[in-house]
Amino acid sequence: MDNNRETLIEIEGLYQIFGPTPNNVLPKVKAGASKEDILAETGHTVGLQDINLTVKRGEIFVIMGLSGSGKSTLIRHFNRLIDPTAGKIKVSGENIMELSPKDLITFRRHKMAMVFQHFGLMPHRCVLDNVGYGLLIKGEKRAEWKPKAVSWLDAVGLSGYEDQYPSQLSGGQQQRVGLARALCTDAEILLMDEAFSALDPLIRSDMQEQLIELQENLQKTIIFITHDLDEALRLGDRIAVLKDGKLVQIGTPVDIMLHPADDYVQAFAKDVNRARALSVQTIMTPNTEKLVANTAAEAKANFPKNKEYAFVFDNDGYQGVLTREKLESLEDEAPLKGALHHIESVRPTDLLQKVIPLSLNSRFDLPVINKSGELKGRLEASKLADVLSPK
Amino acid sequence: MYTKSIIAGILTLAATSSFAAADKCGKVQIAEMNWNSASLMANVDKFILNNGFDCNADLIPGDTMPTSTSMIEKGQPDIAPEMWTNAVQELIDRGVKEKRLSIAGASLSDGGEEGFWVPKYMVDKDPSLATIQGIIKHAKEFPNPEDSSVSAFYGCPPGWGCQISSGNLFKALKLKDAGFELINPGSSAGLSGSLSRAYERKEPWFGYYWAPTAVLGKYKMVKVDFGSGVHPKEYINCITKDDCLDPKVTMFPPSPVYSVTTTEFAKKDPKAYAYIAKRSFTNAQMNKLLAWMEDNQADGQYAAENFMLNHKDIWSKWVNKDVQAKLEKALDKL
Amino acid sequence: MIDSSWLTEFPDMSRRDLLAIRQTLDGAYRSFSRAYGQSIEDFFNPLLHFLVWFEHLLIQTPWWIVLAVIVGLVFAATRSWKLCAGVLASFLAIGYFGMWENTMRTLSIITVCTILSICIGIPIGILMARSDRARSIITPLLDIMQTMPAFVYLIPVVMLLGIGKIPGVIAVIIYAIPPVIRLTNLGIRLVNKDTLEAATAYGATATQRLFGVQIPLAMPTIMAGINQTIMMALAMVVVASMIGVKGLGQPVLKSITNQYFTLGLLNGLAIVALAIIFDRVSQTYAKRAQRHMEGTENG
Ligand SMILES: Nc1ncnc2c1ncn2[C@@H]1O[C@H](COP(=O)(O)OP(=O)(O)O)[C@@H](O)[C@H]1O
Ligand SMILES: [Mg+2]
Repeated sequence: MDNNRETLIEIEGLYQIFGPTPNNVLPKVKAGASKEDILAETGHTVGLQDINLTVKRGEIFVIMGLSGSGKSTLIRHFNRLIDPTAGKIKVSGENIMELSPKDLITFRRHKMAMVFQHFGLMPHRCVLDNVGYGLLIKGEKRAEWKPKAVSWLDAVGLSGYEDQYPSQLSGGQQQRVGLARALCTDAEILLMDEAFSALDPLIRSDMQEQLIELQENLQKTIIFITHDLDEALRLGDRIAVLKDGKLVQIGTPVDIMLHPADDYVQAFAKDVNRARALSVQTIMTPNTEKLVANTAAEAKANFPKNKEYAFVFDNDGYQGVLTREKLESLEDEAPLKGALHHIESVRPTDLLQKVIPLSLNSRFDLPVINKSGELKGRLEASKLADVLSPK
Repeated sequence: MYTKSIIAGILTLAATSSFAAADKCGKVQIAEMNWNSASLMANVDKFILNNGFDCNADLIPGDTMPTSTSMIEKGQPDIAPEMWTNAVQELIDRGVKEKRLSIAGASLSDGGEEGFWVPKYMVDKDPSLATIQGIIKHAKEFPNPEDSSVSAFYGCPPGWGCQISSGNLFKALKLKDAGFELINPGSSAGLSGSLSRAYERKEPWFGYYWAPTAVLGKYKMVKVDFGSGVHPKEYINCITKDDCLDPKVTMFPPSPVYSVTTTEFAKKDPKAYAYIAKRSFTNAQMNKLLAWMEDNQADGQYAAENFMLNHKDIWSKWVNKDVQAKLEKALDKL
Repeated sequence: MIDSSWLTEFPDMSRRDLLAIRQTLDGAYRSFSRAYGQSIEDFFNPLLHFLVWFEHLLIQTPWWIVLAVIVGLVFAATRSWKLCAGVLASFLAIGYFGMWENTMRTLSIITVCTILSICIGIPIGILMARSDRARSIITPLLDIMQTMPAFVYLIPVVMLLGIGKIPGVIAVIIYAIPPVIRLTNLGIRLVNKDTLEAATAYGATATQRLFGVQIPLAMPTIMAGINQTIMMALAMVVVASMIGVKGLGQPVLKSITNQYFTLGLLNGLAIVALAIIFDRVSQTYAKRAQRHMEGTENG
């Protein structure tokens, strides 16, 4: 993940206190009274306290925590389904707390779409009408939104189900409808509250994969809630860990795995099968130079300094690994082809368990190349070993 | 020893007084009809029987038809203090013939008064409305609120004997040809409600009613003259019959209003029965009592107590000196 | 000696005071009815005209046309030949036993009462669902309406409006409207929070939520309320006839007081037949309309 993307959402000093007179209780919470004390003394439930976070455009930002830790409460602040007791929520620099009711509706219609744990489909509307719901309430004509809804339904693999009703679909299918509905509005931000938690493990894994694939093309900003670290690690560019309404850590999956901020996070991390949870992109070394060359002469000219070997690309893309040693033994006119080590490349989204054998069989780092053939980084065997060896 | 015998004495006294009487009169059920005069009478009977004759009398709600049927078939209730026998003539005749019912005496000595009535303020404006010819001529002045093309005649509540008689007279007077519709008011409350609504607003009203009633005591109404006089035979043989094919015009004869008891009760306690036979009001007395009830919104019990307290002149004639003394004692306790 | 009668007898208010209260209230009502009776009557006049017109329509139209229309409506609503046959048979029997005209009268007043109950009841139910305050005010009123003996309000209504259709309709509606109000409120409150939240999240306005989500999802419950309302309206037919409403109630009343068992039974059965027809038709219709919502979490 490149860190220089622009900030899209900013949350500052957010508090949520449930009860009849939250404003009277707020000072006590700010002074640091514990959740239990507040509940015992005032009968108010502290939902969230002092939340500060930023979400960058195009990233999948995962919020993780045990059940009851305030995840749903937090995500509902992004589109103001819940109003905070105190704090600022900025989207694209605009403080959405200042929106008038009418502007708030416009904001919800255009900026954000949401996917729910229990799908939140309308049982009295057919699948197609559910998918088009966001456009329908904007006032779009059926003829306008119908083709979009049909194509999104196709994108989630449900063509042919247009006229069915939600009750006729399985849970996984219903959630695909929920996803299609969210994507159909073309909103730039996707809020997903435990979107896959209610699904069976296999279907869940399918859905995660589908989301990753869709995201590669769409580059939406996704706030994804889960209580499952495996899921968080697989999907998240960054992960925020929530405990009792407080943020205890925000970091990349590897940060969370390797440097848990406290015992709570540690407890999460402990049980994770890292090989199956982490993807290559989370531990790869980004910004690797590639060597574009067709001949040894070109290669000699461009060979990265201080490197013993390089990943060679030509017009057809990645070709293999060339060592400095080998290159120096070559005539200038000699073709490169024969001198290359055929080291397989890996994808950023590949799970570690898939790349372990490749890495073991190679004395080189593995090149990480995305779907469109660009070199995103390399996977160092030592990093891999580091991550996989328990502490 | 001394105290003991006193207690024993009191116990015997109490036992004899209650049990001895209970042997004779015992449990008595009095039908309390749902109009005021009958309710008043039932409560007066209850008070006098309980306090003057040591009965154990109780009221149960009643209505002319079901009460008389029940008295014949089941022997319960024991007393119907105000029975308009015209309405149930055959039934009563059968009961008397089969020795199940006894007609003790007239409870309204003048008899009840039935008729078709119009408000006095209408007659004041147009004296011709006091006769049926006048009514027929001015039928248009009594519009039916639901259908202005016809005129309204408010009939007797369903299930009452008068439903048949007023229906037959409606036919005999050819009121239908005159443009009248016979409106079924549904209940006596419906009938009196429609009358008081019209009266309070000085609107036209034409319909069946009867006296003595608080309504006729309160509102000045004029009985419409059919110009036929009273033909009791025609009235009994045809007008009161459901299957009367060719009803002839007649005014309502005064309705006999009797105190009716079961024969069993009459035999069981002749003294109490004798009281029931004597208990009787004139229409003037009853109208006054009903007006008092209406003004004070009194229920039957309250009205009966008031009557017992303030009208000794009337009730003292119904009982002998002994009973009168007992009753006075009971009244002191009120 | 200290007077301790209050120990054995309830220390009630003196008769004089109670009397004063009763007389004052009655007097106030009487003068109210004198002052406003006419304008209230005028207010209800259009309804009266409609009732009269509708009853005439049902009675004057040849019976076979009315029957054809009824069976047609039943078929349109339920698509069930069996039900249509049942309805046809019931009405033929009713007509054969000479109760056609009274049945039409009852049908007309029940139809009007039901429509009015729905038109008044559903908005009130919606109001109740949206505001806890409204609910806390309306609920006890509904309790009163359902338990207060009908004659308590019938007689004042008769004083105000006379006897006949209008007071009858008012009495029937007072008694029959609570279920549709209660169940509209309940249905809307029971709408799945997730579904409603989804609508909000996608930017639905309050109106869009109400008509696009809450009412459609509450519909099965509302239909149950309408069904109960119809049943209760039919149950009031006899009581309404006590203030001069024509129809099947009057012969029933007559037979109760005269002990004409067969007459009572026949007319009673006609009322039952109407009730069953209304019930089956509305339920089958509701089921047909809500088929695809079966098995979802909504009430
Ligand atoms: N409307 C509310 N009123 C009171 N307490 C609430 C409300 N909503 C949530 N809570 C409390 O806030 C805490 C966080 O809830 P939630 O956000 O649903 O947790 P999660 O989604 O992480 O499981 C819980 O303790 C819950 O009881
Ligand atoms: Mg949650």
